[in-house]
Amino acid sequence: MKPSSRSRRLAWGIALGLVWLVTYPLLLTLLEALGGVGAWTLEHFAEFARRGDEWRALWRSLWISTASVVLAGLVGVPLAFVFERTDFPGRRVLGALVALPVALPPLVGVIAFLFLYGESGFVSRLVQGTLGLDQPPWRLHGPGAILLVHTYSMYVYFYLFARAALARLDGSMLEAAAVLGAGRWRTLWRVTLPQLRPALLGAALLTFMTSLGSFSAPYIFAGGYRVMTTQIVASRVNGQYALAQVEAIVLALVALVALWLIRRLQTDETVTSAHGVAPSRKPIVDPWARWGFAVVGWSLAGFMLMPHATLLLISLVPHSTWTVELWPPVLNFNNYRELFAEPERLRPLLNSLWMATAATAGAVALGLVAARQSLRQGGRLGAALEGLVALPWAIPGTVFAIALGTAFSVHAPHLGRFVWIGTPIILPLAYLVRCLPVTGRAALAGLRQLDPALEEAAHSLGAGPLRAFRRVTLPLVRPALVAGLGLAFITALGDFVTSIVLYTYETRPISIEIQSALRVQEFGIAAVYGVLLMMLSAAAFLVWGRGEAGH
Amino acid sequence: MTRYRDNNVSRVSTSCVIGLIGIGLVAGLLSGCGDGRTPLTIYSPHGRDLLQLVEQTFEAANPQIDVRCLDMGSQEVYERVRTESANPQCDVWFGGPATILGRGARDGLLEAFRPSWADALPAAYQHPENLYFGLYRTPPLLVYNEETVTADEAPQDWDDLLDERWQGQVLIRDPVASGTMRTIFGMVLSSSVVETGNTDRGFDWLRRLDVQTKEYVHNPALLHQKMVRQEGQVTMWELTDILFQRLRGAPLGYRFPVSGSPVIADSIALVKGSDQGEAARAFIEWVGSREALLLAAEQAFRLPARDDLPVSELPEWARQALAELVTAEVDWDLIESEGAEWMNTWDRSVRGQGSKK
Repeated sequence: MKPSSRSRRLAWGIALGLVWLVTYPLLLTLLEALGGVGAWTLEHFAEFARRGDEWRALWRSLWISTASVVLAGLVGVPLAFVFERTDFPGRRVLGALVALPVALPPLVGVIAFLFLYGESGFVSRLVQGTLGLDQPPWRLHGPGAILLVHTYSMYVYFYLFARAALARLDGSMLEAAAVLGAGRWRTLWRVTLPQLRPALLGAALLTFMTSLGSFSAPYIFAGGYRVMTTQIVASRVNGQYALAQVEAIVLALVALVALWLIRRLQTDETVTSAHGVAPSRKPIVDPWARWGFAVVGWSLAGFMLMPHATLLLISLVPHSTWTVELWPPVLNFNNYRELFAEPERLRPLLNSLWMATAATAGAVALGLVAARQSLRQGGRLGAALEGLVALPWAIPGTVFAIALGTAFSVHAPHLGRFVWIGTPIILPLAYLVRCLPVTGRAALAGLRQLDPALEEAAHSLGAGPLRAFRRVTLPLVRPALVAGLGLAFITALGDFVTSIVLYTYETRPISIEIQSALRVQEFGIAAVYGVLLMMLSAAAFLVWGRGEAGH
Repeated sequence: MTRYRDNNVSRVSTSCVIGLIGIGLVAGLLSGCGDGRTPLTIYSPHGRDLLQLVEQTFEAANPQIDVRCLDMGSQEVYERVRTESANPQCDVWFGGPATILGRGARDGLLEAFRPSWADALPAAYQHPENLYFGLYRTPPLLVYNEETVTADEAPQDWDDLLDERWQGQVLIRDPVASGTMRTIFGMVLSSSVVETGNTDRGFDWLRRLDVQTKEYVHNPALLHQKMVRQEGQVTMWELTDILFQRLRGAPLGYRFPVSGSPVIADSIALVKGSDQGEAARAFIEWVGSREALLLAAEQAFRLPARDDLPVSELPEWARQALAELVTAEVDWDLIESEGAEWMNTWDRSVRGQGSKK
């Protein structure tokens, strides 16, 4: 089917629109870092290169991200095997529970960790008391603390991706390997893992990019131990705007190179389209082992849910009543009452809801249209569209927010620049762009599985393009789209890094309100917002989980 | 995948999606409702206690105005006003050390406005071009945990923090993002410049302080929390916050340093390009009035900058503070012009260098 010129124009339009929203702001930031038209200078870049602490921050960002990938993989992949390949009591429930860290927005998760494992945190005090130590047993500080939080929140990517891939595994290939005399490990190494490779690379990419852009954990746990994202913010706070722009550009470049490298690993993958039946789960028969698995499984789930429980507990502690005691002396619903009694305090909740909804809806629509055009056009234009949709992934939130702020604070319509800073448009727009890779990827995956003959059949039966799309294509890709939608909604709802740069009074989201409650020592109120955010995310996660299951 | 399951999934997901969109629309509608009053947007680091008090009192007297306060760090206010200068959202910049508002003034972010109460201010609290004025006096001071340190043992002066007794017991709010800490560090460095001609002595002092420091804490909330939980024994912070903490039962004691405190001129300004200039001027005029200042002193521990208010009308805590407070001589111009570079040097070459903790 030759694409009509109309659909070609549409494809070009989308491509240009994405360039304008994603690439153009970055270019403008680069121009400003270079001094701007008429005042070209490499001075700021030279200053960056001269400074030892900049290189140190860059190196730390890189090794922490790499280590996060390794650690998250080491936790997530074995878990996926346990839950997908074996059967034991409570497997289904536990399998869903261990994915819950994804429903803990970054800032909220970090605070929960602080209360749990911080120096005067719950677990630390318990260990100190039990062992009779004079000093807290550890300090939640520096790279160790960052890696702990990263592993906790990102192993879920490996777990979910690997589980999905394991479920699609062709059992007959494993049987074939067994017939040919391969042992268990050899089969794992030569048959199973190669088939999991695309999923693992996808999870690695997601983990690496998320760690590289991670802000909350290093911001709160690592004060002087700077990584690139916190270095950017410190430079801005110190009034060194040009240097901050250079740092943003450097971080974006590093991310792009990483994206390119991992993508290259992905393209030469051997795609074996498995149409067989997934191997059946191995039920564990030995009663001791059965109970062993169940106990380990439940304790693991308990460990994964402790931050959620902590948050819930803190939300019930009235102001200033919990000091040096192990267990809070007073628990009641005062914080909730206070929050729901003041309409002004509920506004951030509504703001976050409408912005996340609008951004998700926009990202799903745009992702679907872009994915469809990318597949229909094929060739260079198609590849470019696919690349553009994935691009925002590679741009850390802080960098993207600064770039948007730079691009849309000048009135020059002929250059495609408008004063959007300080208006309610800019934040949902930023969310939309940040969600696009997720929804775009989901739409692409859904459309790729679709047999084009179906749409042609609809055409030949007299359905117009819209009708064919609505009645044939859309219902078939819906599970994939819903999967993307859930994740996009969670991302937008919990966003902190882009919001802190771009929010206004009208659009202040929950995360900003949490930050400001923390500023005035209202830990209880901050925790209530955290709990609400957590529940909304968990609801969206259920939608996502259902989508993935049907996928 | 079986067809049956797909159908089921799509039905469930469709209703979920519709539900979500419904919630979103309702949320959007609810948050979009205005009530026809003039919105007056205020950026302020003052915290909810004072902001709510001011908002409610001012709105009661001016029912046509809807005061909207955004609470953020003093350095953040500067950064936001600067970022939004192409489309100013903030009408009144309410609070923050004069040094930070001074940077805003130099960047052309402020509009000249001289409220009638400005005449009652000491000269140091007035800006020559009427761009901003001091409203409250905020004295930085020494703070200790009353449960582990007695008033006699507590440090009496800044130098006492370097005492061996406090090694590894000092907690400090991360100074890069804090106006209060920048002022204290600025005092140390500027007096070094004024007395010896360079910053060497000052940085040496800060290096020794770094050795004593257990941790640079990310925000004031965590600082108080860690102090109360005895993760450290002494810190430096400012009077207002500590009085609030004490009011809420936190066992924190304080001392005015005997050599003097670099009293911060907590200032207020009209933001350039504000589209609610009239309401903004009315607000600034009111918040510096005798009535509003006494209210802030009474209920929110703010020490007025005006010196024409009779001491007898001030609450007990304020009278006591005025009696104990020694004001340090500080070269504010030097801090304002060099402060950013000093903090930069400190951040890169002093922080965390003193000890391998």
